[in-house]
Amino acid sequence: MTRKLTPDASCSIGGVKMADQGAADPGNNNNNKAEASEGTIIKVTVKTPKDKEEIAIAEDASVTQFKEEISRRFKAKQDQLVLIFAGKILKDGDSLSQHGIKDGLTVHLVIKTAHKAGEGASPTASSSTSTQAGTSSTSSPGTEPSPTAGSTGSAPPPTQTPNILTGFGDLSSLSGLGMGSANFMELQQQMQRQLMSNPEMLSQIMENPLVQNMMSNPDLMRQMIMANPQMQQLMERNPEISHMLNNPELMRQTMELARNPAMMQEMMRNQDRALSNLESIPGGYNALRRMYTDIQEPMFSAAREQFGSNPFSALGGNSESGVQPSRTENREPLPNPWGPPNSSNPPESGGSTTGSTSTTGGTNPSVSNPLGINPGSLGNGMFNSPGMQSLLQQISDNPQLMQNMLSAPYMRSMMQSLSQNPELASQVLMNNPLFAGNPQLQDQFRAQLPVFLQQMQNPEALSVMTNPRAMQALMQIQQGLQTLQTEAPGLMPSLMPGGIPGMPTGGIPGMPTGGIPGMPTGGIPGMPTGGIPGIPTGAGMPTENPASSPSSAGTNTAQQQLMQQMLQMFAGGGGGGAGGGATVHAYTGITSFTPA
Amino acid sequence: MDQHGSFPVKLYIYDVSRGMARQLSSLMLGRQLDGIWHTAIVVHGKEYFFGGEGINSCSLGGTPLGEPDSIVDLGHTEVPADIFIEYLTSLAESTYRGDKYNLFEHNCNTFSNELAQFLTDKKIPSYITDLPSDILSTPFGQALRPLLDSITINPGGSNITGQR
Repeated sequence: MTRKLTPDASCSIGGVKMADQGAADPGNNNNNKAEASEGTIIKVTVKTPKDKEEIAIAEDASVTQFKEEISRRFKAKQDQLVLIFAGKILKDGDSLSQHGIKDGLTVHLVIKTAHKAGEGASPTASSSTSTQAGTSSTSSPGTEPSPTAGSTGSAPPPTQTPNILTGFGDLSSLSGLGMGSANFMELQQQMQRQLMSNPEMLSQIMENPLVQNMMSNPDLMRQMIMANPQMQQLMERNPEISHMLNNPELMRQTMELARNPAMMQEMMRNQDRALSNLESIPGGYNALRRMYTDIQEPMFSAAREQFGSNPFSALGGNSESGVQPSRTENREPLPNPWGPPNSSNPPESGGSTTGSTSTTGGTNPSVSNPLGINPGSLGNGMFNSPGMQSLLQQISDNPQLMQNMLSAPYMRSMMQSLSQNPELASQVLMNNPLFAGNPQLQDQFRAQLPVFLQQMQNPEALSVMTNPRAMQALMQIQQGLQTLQTEAPGLMPSLMPGGIPGMPTGGIPGMPTGGIPGMPTGGIPGMPTGGIPGIPTGAGMPTENPASSPSSAGTNTAQQQLMQQMLQMFAGGGGGGAGGGATVHAYTGITSFTPA
Repeated sequence: MDQHGSFPVKLYIYDVSRGMARQLSSLMLGRQLDGIWHTAIVVHGKEYFFGGEGINSCSLGGTPLGEPDSIVDLGHTEVPADIFIEYLTSLAESTYRGDKYNLFEHNCNTFSNELAQFLTDKKIPSYITDLPSDILSTPFGQALRPLLDSITINPGGSNITGQR
């Protein structure tokens, strides 16, 4: 007899039942123990990630039949269905009983999204799915919004740019770990967010010659990046990154990119084109997909997490201003780009572009702000003296800023790395436009560099810098010295070695050691009226300095003794302790005392 | 039918308290807990877990938690990588979105359990899934519940309400 057991009589040949397959009336949901052993309808739960349904199917049904039923229920095509039971994929040719699917058991279902593009797109939809290459997602701030998943040709660099730069930014993880002052971090983050949403700011920052200088120095970049422990961790796990870092060509190209939004645009366009080509190569799609999940997603999620917005948005904004960045002429003492945001703060620069609280100036490296440039200060190009002065003002008014800034762990590591590598530091400093025209200054500073760096590390010194009253006192001293200088020029040479000019300038701008940024700058303030004007005056000094320094002491013992005492106090015996070795430059801007 | 390619599935178990739970739990909670467990499923060469940000993946042992405290072998699965990713994607859009994280009810272990069942039809050890109820059964746990509810754990990176 031909008894139709199930709609598709594949299991019965000519209606004859196979031994182990039973017959059941379709639609009969009860366990109908008909002739042979089974032949019952079983209720199988089919579970998708999103929901689940109970499906009644004959126990002896085949997978194909099952899928038919499922496609009806779930409104999906049969080819899109992937059934998994006990970790096995159910193929169309199998039967349910083969897999041991019985009544009441659960079968998992995955509905494949239509086509590959769909699959590729789904990661974006499932925004939460992300790969985290170690800590890269946490350290998102540092990167530029250079997001392409990496093209075939230059796969690593653009993709890695964010990773690398984020490596030495690392705001959020710090705040997460509770190491930095939460306040500080928040403010910085705010600033970054603002930055992200304001593309002009970004382009202005990028146009800053200092930034560009820094970025064109691959060694420097590499140093900074490697100094970050998280970056190191990342590198261990991901040898490609270190490979990339070690390849100067790549670094250079990456930095070019980061520096030049227009180029970045172009690059991205090329990459997109290349990517789409890649798709058409056999096996290419998989490679692409791998690339995406391994590289792009962490970036995206990192960036998104940082800014809560489309990382591309800043880029898009940049394209408007995507003109070749032009090197502007030298500006006045630039606040330390990496610096502790506090130092270079918006308020001073007239139109605080950030508009947020003062500290936001701080700028720690962010996605779009790899160097942590303070948009407020840079954006408006306000590096002139009023700015510096108000900067100092601000610092003395708000000791907490300095505190926060200095206590940020990355600051310390930055300083450490700089002090370990005086060449690097000097390089950075030399790049400072301030030094550009003044070789004497440079030499002087270079000589004092190691001590200077040590000073930076000296916690006492740091605490002095955070002490507003101390800072004010220093300011007063400087002002006093300046007055003396004008009143009694003969007296000063001995007391004011080129240190002054060297100091502040060195201290400020390029200084990655920046932590101090505000500091040195602050230190100077009174100095030469905050900057350029002062510098020339100061510069005048250096020439005499070499001569005068050594002799120094000679002229005015009393004053010198006073100076020495002060210096000793500041330097904590480390730097200038003995005989006023000077060091403290940074702070007092007085410095360069050669031992009395 | 196993020829389809068999991929090993493992469960990585981490103690986020780094041993502190073992020492202090009986004091603080009144019952002994050997650890505060975070789990992740390792398959297809990657580690997958659920955190406050949603479903995450990283390389093996790639979270700041480092290497796992113990590894449980869950067997093998036939599910190939692409299907698996599809599955994860759907989960991530629905029940395992970032905002669905709840430290007690819907946490990383919930996720690992579900993944384990999907891949191998096995559950993860019960001492892990019982942890929230163990804690909540103590008066201390109850008292801390409002605070704990607001915590999300993100072993892969930034933490919200900072906790590691």
